[in-house]
Amino acid sequence: MTTQNYDLVIVGSGVAGSIVAYQLGSQGKKVLILEAGQEVPADRSDYMETFFKANAKTPESPYPPTTQDPSASTQDNPLGLPDPAKENTPRYTVLQIGAWRNPRQCYFDYTAQEPNLSPDSPHAKFAFASSYERIGGGTTWHWLGTCLRLFPHDFELKTRYGQGVDWPGGAKFYDALVPYYEQATQHIGVSGDKQAMDKIYSEFGVSSNGQYGSEYDYPMPGIDPSQVDNSFNVPPVTSLTVDDIAVSITPTPQGRNSLPGKRRQCAGNTNCIPICPIQAKYDATVTLAQALQTGNVDIRYRCVASNIRLDDTTHEVSGIDFITYDTQSGIQTGSGTAVGKKYYLAAHAIETPKLLLMSNKNKGFPKGVANSSDQVGRNLMDHIMYLAWGLAKDPVFPYRGPLSTSGVESLRDGKFRSTRSAYRIEIGNEGWQWAANDPFTTLADFVFGQDASQTNGSTINAQNQPLKFDSNLPDNAQLFGAQLVSTLNGIYTRQVRLGYLIEQLPDPDNRVELSESLTDHLGLPRPKITYRVRSDYERNGFVSARKVSTEIFQAMGAREYTTTPPAPVFSGDPSKETATNFEYQGHRFTFYGAGHIVGTYRMGDKKENSVVNVRQQSWDHTNLYMGGSGLFPTVATGNPTLTIAALAFKTATHILEDFS
Amino acid sequence: MSSNNDMDNFIALSAVLTGFNANILRPFLDPVDIKSEYLQVFFTRIAEESGDPKLATNILAKFAQLNGQTNPKLNDQQIGEEMLAPANGANFVLACRKLIFMWYSGAWPTIIPASATAPETTVSEIISAKSYTCGLVWQVMQSHPMGDSNFRYGYWAKAPIPLSDYTGN
Repeated sequence: MTTQNYDLVIVGSGVAGSIVAYQLGSQGKKVLILEAGQEVPADRSDYMETFFKANAKTPESPYPPTTQDPSASTQDNPLGLPDPAKENTPRYTVLQIGAWRNPRQCYFDYTAQEPNLSPDSPHAKFAFASSYERIGGGTTWHWLGTCLRLFPHDFELKTRYGQGVDWPGGAKFYDALVPYYEQATQHIGVSGDKQAMDKIYSEFGVSSNGQYGSEYDYPMPGIDPSQVDNSFNVPPVTSLTVDDIAVSITPTPQGRNSLPGKRRQCAGNTNCIPICPIQAKYDATVTLAQALQTGNVDIRYRCVASNIRLDDTTHEVSGIDFITYDTQSGIQTGSGTAVGKKYYLAAHAIETPKLLLMSNKNKGFPKGVANSSDQVGRNLMDHIMYLAWGLAKDPVFPYRGPLSTSGVESLRDGKFRSTRSAYRIEIGNEGWQWAANDPFTTLADFVFGQDASQTNGSTINAQNQPLKFDSNLPDNAQLFGAQLVSTLNGIYTRQVRLGYLIEQLPDPDNRVELSESLTDHLGLPRPKITYRVRSDYERNGFVSARKVSTEIFQAMGAREYTTTPPAPVFSGDPSKETATNFEYQGHRFTFYGAGHIVGTYRMGDKKENSVVNVRQQSWDHTNLYMGGSGLFPTVATGNPTLTIAALAFKTATHILEDFS
Repeated sequence: MSSNNDMDNFIALSAVLTGFNANILRPFLDPVDIKSEYLQVFFTRIAEESGDPKLATNILAKFAQLNGQTNPKLNDQQIGEEMLAPANGANFVLACRKLIFMWYSGAWPTIIPASATAPETTVSEIISAKSYTCGLVWQVMQSHPMGDSNFRYGYWAKAPIPLSDYTGN
């Protein structure tokens, strides 16, 4: 089966693929999207049903393929994780982090640990902590909705701070992106507080004289701050400084409706990740529907791109091979080649490099398509997250509202960046749900007399404060009736959580390769991952995050419950190897993923050290373009989706230029 | 097998143990009817786990006896303490505690005993999509199930209605 007469073939129907399809389709270009996963459902009730029934409410829990099957659980597979070798579109899930050394449960293949590592060794390898979706609409199904711009300084990390690399053009990249940031903000329908953002921009070298953009404002007013936000936004906290920078709490611009509009008004389901039940939060299915409505865009679901063909003479892409299937564990039902004049890869920062690397049979490109620089798959990054949690002195009523409504943006840049990672701090509205799997952990503690939450025992925190919630209760109290109600209410309504999105440096040895031995059900190689948290720059960011959390909690009168993880294990039985624990400067840390998978086909100003140019066009193949956060040379300091969307609008402009 | 009488006792016992009013657990208009699902799960799982097919019936009978006592009449606190007294036997007490957990979480718990390296913990299995949204944890935190809000935009900026409105007590 060969498709013909398309101007553009796109791989992936997430936010980048859908925006480019919409932009090109609107201009009369014929577009075909190949989507590996299932179709966008007619409504989201089936996804909601799957989510409600899931025992672990992970980001992937609502979506196919199924992530957990309790009936299939065994002693060595307690979560009933499906075997990726038996699935046609497996993807990495948060539940696989703990099973990272077991390829029958984990989609990724991982390189072996070096022997005899010390607990603080920078050479220690870890499980990757972030996941993504392979379905119509892509990973925006489970994104948080945060819509921050990056700052000019983020684009010149090397020039300004001697770390990492610059983006092509350095700070000028910001200027080039301004109109596209505006376009992305309007398209997503961001709710934001302009005045609050103006103040932040001015602090980070962005002036109002045109650098915000002539049309700069948010389509909707900012989302109301939560009571949790207000408990942090008090002078004892906002009087704190970190490396001479004041801590300021800022409402977060968000891709969710503060007013009824094309989508519904947010009803505060506290469930943006994994799924907004009413689509008040933007997701790429909105754009995909608009793209299809142009009449010029076709999409083929359950159609897995497997190889990119090149013309031997021109080196231009001549087609993308694909494999089709009907059911997730069923047989291959067909194959073909999608042919267009130009091509756009937008299959996220793991599957896109995998596709490029798989395409290694073309003459003159033995390392894969677009990979003459050998940068494809390298520099895998994330915002490595540090979590801190505590109990406020008075009720602040979490588990209400969007998952996060405010954050600390003022620490995203500063002179400190020559020695440690920058971070933003996200304030969570979901109590200890992420931090401690609540409300169920605390519930089990007081029903069965356990103390996993530390609120029901004699634990003392690092500040020498007792963590037992009610000093009148015995250790490991077992409650019922009115006392159970009042105790649980007292704890749940005081829970606060901070999340630090710590900047990770590009490291060429942190990479996506092809597994030599493991395949999915279609016979395609699975990604082999090497992932370290190697530099002192990053580790110093954790040390700062730890110290700052304690200062913030003390300033607001909260009691800190952040747990210290067990000692890391880097040798011995591989199944017991530490997934995300490390030691540094005498402290133990656990890191979490932010879902921000970045850097694996980076932009640059030289063919030798990057995969695409500043137009997001392959240096090696002039009719091939790429989208998504794999383009980012550094992870920078803001959640990536608004920048992904802005870059997609920018790339669409370049593709249209190249057609004319 | 359960009867109407079982349901009456099941609800009244559940009200004592959870601290929620029976009218919240069994509302007058009850199209969701989670109580029937819970009663069945309670009977089935307790029989499976204890190996005693009569244990659930015995628990309800014991409750009925305490609840019916008139001289002196016992209050909820006293009935709860009697039901959870160690003298009733470990399986009896554990079953009552699992009943509490089920109402609060919508899930059935399994206790993982302590090991040399880890303390005792609980894992649980969601009973149904419906049970997850019916969990009393969402009520006791004066909120709504994650993913199933009946509130309107901006409610999170204001204090919730009193806890007693959620518990009915």
